[in-house]
Amino acid sequence: MPKGLSVKLGSLELKNPIVTCSGTFSSGIEYNDLYDVSLLGAITTKSFSLEERLGNKPPRLCETPAGLLNSIGLQNEGIDFFINEHLPVVKKFGFTVILSILGDSVSEFIELAVKIRKIEDDIAAVELNLSCPNIKKGGLALGSDPEEVEKAAAAVRKILNIPVIVKLSPNNNNLSELALRAKNGGAEAVSLINTVIGMAIDINTFKPKLGNVTGGLSGPAIKPIAVAKIYNLHKENILPIIGMGGVFDYKDAIELMIAGASAVGIGTVNFIEYDAGKNIIDGLISYMGSSNIKNISEIIGSVKAG
Amino acid sequence: MKLIKGEIISNKKIGEDLFKMTVFSPYIVKNSMPGQFVNIKCSSGNTIDPFLRRPFSIHDAEPDFKVFSILYVLKGIGTDYLSKLNAGDILDFAGPLGNGIDTTQSENKNFLLIGGGIGVAPLYFLAKKLVSEEKNIFFAAGFKNNNFLLFEKNLQILKISYEIYSEDGTYGKRGKVTDLFNEGTEDFKNYEVVCCGPIGMYKALQNVFTLNNMKAKALFEEIMACGIGVCKGCAMKFKNSDGTFEYRTVCKDGPVFDLMEATID
Repeated sequence: MPKGLSVKLGSLELKNPIVTCSGTFSSGIEYNDLYDVSLLGAITTKSFSLEERLGNKPPRLCETPAGLLNSIGLQNEGIDFFINEHLPVVKKFGFTVILSILGDSVSEFIELAVKIRKIEDDIAAVELNLSCPNIKKGGLALGSDPEEVEKAAAAVRKILNIPVIVKLSPNNNNLSELALRAKNGGAEAVSLINTVIGMAIDINTFKPKLGNVTGGLSGPAIKPIAVAKIYNLHKENILPIIGMGGVFDYKDAIELMIAGASAVGIGTVNFIEYDAGKNIIDGLISYMGSSNIKNISEIIGSVKAG
Repeated sequence: MKLIKGEIISNKKIGEDLFKMTVFSPYIVKNSMPGQFVNIKCSSGNTIDPFLRRPFSIHDAEPDFKVFSILYVLKGIGTDYLSKLNAGDILDFAGPLGNGIDTTQSENKNFLLIGGGIGVAPLYFLAKKLVSEEKNIFFAAGFKNNNFLLFEKNLQILKISYEIYSEDGTYGKRGKVTDLFNEGTEDFKNYEVVCCGPIGMYKALQNVFTLNNMKAKALFEEIMACGIGVCKGCAMKFKNSDGTFEYRTVCKDGPVFDLMEATID
């Protein structure tokens, strides 16, 4: 992999800027049948909570124009399952792992961090999922409250010696305040954007198409929202940004980097173009060659606006 | 599982809004089991409409020609796209996906297959495999009308016993496939039952099987995103033996499940 592809987000160094978005890649094991997942800058795991979560009532999916509405409800087997079942495999495969964790309260994040301390040598960073729109208790509420964001980041940072990333939701209007408080808590980067709250209704039955009524919209439909949120937050120069939202190919990844992303998350595309990760990295390498870019980090926030 | 680009050998209309597509893929033919499916990209090139892939059960696999086939009904933009493809076009699909039905694990010699509508598609693949294992098969199929007339030829070639029902009486016996049990279930007491069809059929079968203390495997479908178990989108609610419930993904935990454990609203 060319050296010029590497990027730095605080103390987190990635061999290339392409990471996967939490919840769209499991722990990457399934995808390793299709391409060498260790090529990715990092995989971000599905969010794991202290205990198993059953998830939301079906239906959980609804296709929309250039997008996907989901209300999975963070179904997961619990952090112990990741540690015991997934971690040995991802270690064997050599993935760079960002472990996404999920709690309803600061104290749950503390308990999670204590469990992760035993395995922190095997993972590159933790991402705090404070912004899932599909969870009624905690979730979005926790991620919307600047004080709680700071407390959660600080609590985890105190226990772990690896970088802490906070995932932010576009459904908040106070992103720069949240990012600032995440930084105060010791976070080294933010992931932006989580899904956008959306809803769809069946006009024959008058019923919502999702069992949870509303859900999170992802896919190319939300890319312009991601670009704007990344652009605006990058201008504030608070923390490095892992930009995500509707990335489908290498051109989208470059667009998000020009807007201000230091790394780029690929999410929903993994459901459709299973080998998107590899293709996007190949595309970045070609783009750098044809545009005479020596280091991909040169383009971060290089938008010529005004 | 592999991501494959395979050539379409034929794509024929075999009934009103009903198509059979045959695709060249030595890998699928070699590695697939009845009950498994392929996840097909139903848009061309770099277009993203429709956005998601569409899952289709494997209807047949022919080792001599290294082709597999799917049956599909025109329903929306995905199947509309498929219906316009021609022989020689390239299909982008992933498979084989999901759990198949491993009949070699079954000591039972007798199988009852119950199909409703397009649900007969994967059951034909299963019947063919069971025939090769010299099992005794009874195939019951129920349709709305006579649109699946051409499907019957498959059953005749397999030389298996079968009964066809249609709701409007234009094909086989008038009635629903569950009429098979109007005279009781005694005839099928020692059969292993596998069914595939609409939710209404499953509800009726659950009632019959509960009353008669029978078991059955069933193939389910659900709107899917990834098709490989990572997104947890295609979840269905199932009862566990201890009275609790859990959500299982149709794509990875299924699509074959114990019919009696499924909760159908």
